[in-house]
Amino acid sequence: MDTLLEMRNIVKRFGNLVANDHINFEVRRGEIHGLLGENGAGKTTLMNILYGIYRPDEGEIIFEGEKVRFKSPKDAISAGIGMVHQHFMLVPRMNVFQNIVLGYRTPSDPLVNQKWVEERVRTLSEKYGIDVALYEFVMNLSVGEEQRVEILKALFRDVKLLILDEPTAVLTPQEVDSLFYALKSMTKSGLTIIFITHKLKEALKVTDRITVLRRGKKVGTVNTSETNERELTRMMVGRDIGFYISKPVTKYGKEVLKVEDLWVRDERKNYAVKGVNFSIREGEILGIAGVSGNGQRELEEAIAGLRKVEKGRIILDGKEITKKGVREREDIAYIPEDRIGVGLAPSLSVLENLMLKDFKKYKKGFFLNFEEMERKAKELIEEFSVKTPSIHSKAGTLSGGNIQRLILARELSKNPRLIIASQPTRGLDVEGTDYVRRRLVDAAVKGAAVLLISEDLEEVFQLADRIAVMYEGEIRGIMEREKASYDKVGYLMAGGLEVTV
Amino acid sequence: MRGLITPVLSIAASLVVVGILLAAIGINPVEAYIAMFTNSFTSKFGLAELCVKTTPLILTGLAVAIPLRAGLWNIGAEGQLYMGAFAASVIALYSNLPGYAMLPAMFLTAAVFGMAWAAIPAVLKARFDLNEILSTLLLNYVAIHWVEYMVYGPMRGREVYNFPYTDLFPDAATLPRFFGTRFHLGFFIAILIAIIIYYVIKKTHFGFSLRIVGANPRAAEYAGINRQRMIVYSMMLGGMFAGIAGMIEVSGIQLRLRPLISTGYGYAGIPVALLASGNPLLVMVSATLFGFLYVGGSVLQTAYSVPVAIVYVFHSLIVLFIIAGQSLRRD
Repeated sequence: MDTLLEMRNIVKRFGNLVANDHINFEVRRGEIHGLLGENGAGKTTLMNILYGIYRPDEGEIIFEGEKVRFKSPKDAISAGIGMVHQHFMLVPRMNVFQNIVLGYRTPSDPLVNQKWVEERVRTLSEKYGIDVALYEFVMNLSVGEEQRVEILKALFRDVKLLILDEPTAVLTPQEVDSLFYALKSMTKSGLTIIFITHKLKEALKVTDRITVLRRGKKVGTVNTSETNERELTRMMVGRDIGFYISKPVTKYGKEVLKVEDLWVRDERKNYAVKGVNFSIREGEILGIAGVSGNGQRELEEAIAGLRKVEKGRIILDGKEITKKGVREREDIAYIPEDRIGVGLAPSLSVLENLMLKDFKKYKKGFFLNFEEMERKAKELIEEFSVKTPSIHSKAGTLSGGNIQRLILARELSKNPRLIIASQPTRGLDVEGTDYVRRRLVDAAVKGAAVLLISEDLEEVFQLADRIAVMYEGEIRGIMEREKASYDKVGYLMAGGLEVTV
Repeated sequence: MRGLITPVLSIAASLVVVGILLAAIGINPVEAYIAMFTNSFTSKFGLAELCVKTTPLILTGLAVAIPLRAGLWNIGAEGQLYMGAFAASVIALYSNLPGYAMLPAMFLTAAVFGMAWAAIPAVLKARFDLNEILSTLLLNYVAIHWVEYMVYGPMRGREVYNFPYTDLFPDAATLPRFFGTRFHLGFFIAILIAIIIYYVIKKTHFGFSLRIVGANPRAAEYAGINRQRMIVYSMMLGGMFAGIAGMIEVSGIQLRLRPLISTGYGYAGIPVALLASGNPLLVMVSATLFGFLYVGGSVLQTAYSVPVAIVYVFHSLIVLFIIAGQSLRRD
């Protein structure tokens, strides 16, 4: 196999931060090359340089034996490089056909040659096994279908090299399988693929070779067939980590939370939660699996007191709280999915963010007792090892992992009865993930009830005592962890109906 | 320190541009600036005038700064000032209160009217999410024309020869003046209010909540802070200060109600608040700067016969440069 792409000595700095530090990266024609690393390791920066979004400070790119300099993604596309971003860049109000031809000149330009496009899409679909409904509006597509459109859009432009940035983050297990199948068949037809991920299992499953980055530097490139999870973890993190936390089975206590026939509307006034029932006991973690957007956010906000309940009841420790405000739900800790947008005021200091909910308890006459608040904040920072220059630094300047530690410090330190944790480790690196999971398990073991809402099936299976699947606003089956399997949960996540249990 | 660079640069830039304009109409800008400075700072009357102009600007600056902390734009300080002036005048002219109660009563009614006037856009914003920039701005015209109607009609004085004025206030309804100048008690009232509100913002739970609402409204809701209530409170507090400014203008300077009691103090409060980044103590500093521009502007008009338009251009340029500086700082 010959070399398709070579990136030599790539350096990219953002201020004082060296995002890419003399990286050498080489991709062979026809392979699936995994680019593995924690968040902030420099994967996306490197690919954005390749795709012409950033320009490197040093180094050169050789593509198909020629030195290239891309000024913009347009140059990269015309050289034969396509990229499917983590967040899809499709126009929801247009149909698939329109999205595919958008910005492309068909042979009869300025008119669009519909027959020619249809023919070409059909050929590509057959060749690579990617099926799309050409005249369906994008807003009616599932996430997996949208992704297929993005890939097809790139293929339509005759790419030789396709970059996929964390393509599996939003897919169900079944959709992941069909994506992998399509990727394999693409490489058989001569296409080359760079697969960016931080999930070890996926990298091992689908790639031919893997390059690992850590803190802006390249650690090494290995043949997938000659490596294993342990070696890759060591390369990614720099040391071994016992990343199999699992929750010990404890004796469950009293019922803490009970949700009865809950109906909640979303922003557009449609029902997003449709008659949900469940309960959680002391010491228990209930995991709610499901693809985002199936009513999880509305459910958690309703329980936390941020969203109006249309029908049904929420009972905490035997008392109905359905209509109570956030202040009257002090026993509930809430780790929201959108940490920076909801859980934090990034422009305020670490101190102010730690006191976001509790500052009223520090009244001293007319004023607040700032000395006492500072003392408490320092204690919390110590206990939860939040790395910050000082308690007066702006919270928004902390790293993602430290922001989550700050939120955990605020929420868990009040010894809550119920913890709602929504996507608590999304976007965190291995170490941060490890920490958050340990904390949640500890809290449950000490007697809190935990409602874990996560798209990450591995997380749900590791932590939860019982697993529920949410699909289109309904809970599809609640099962004990021992009785659950990836296949069964994945089937329910994709909208399958419960057959047995 | 870095916080200081942008405002200083904004002011310097507008000085340069206005200097070019002055030079274009044949006036030596350096001389003109020196004259502005010496007239405002080296004579008793200059200093007194500086304080007279600074007083309402401190209050309208606060009227903008407090809602700004909650992320709201109060463009309505001008109207709130007029309503405060109107309310104070009604008390002064028609209440027949004993002397000692007169000024406190005027002060309170002006505060309440300013508050009430600001409450209208505040409630509309909190209940229906109506854009407060538009509603506060439009209510200015209502207030200004209301005062105009009153002085042309029901409140026109008996001894004013058909001018659109009310009668002069009784002595008990005027603020004491000092040093044989127009310098009056209102200056100290404004300073005192600024200092008090500084502590309220920095040290109380109200100030803390306000900061959270301003920094991230969704985080405020998440923390159980009633955002709607904070919108209304902060706006009403702002309106109260503007109303007090109106009372101080009529009882300290005009001594009667008439149209055009304010030469845009309410609008000038916006750059005053921006320049101070919403900090009540710094509002006093930036209000002094704008007070200087008002006094210096009249020096330019009288001593150099500079058209008044150039003076307005000066004011507007400073505002533009400040806004430009603010948006640059954000990046």
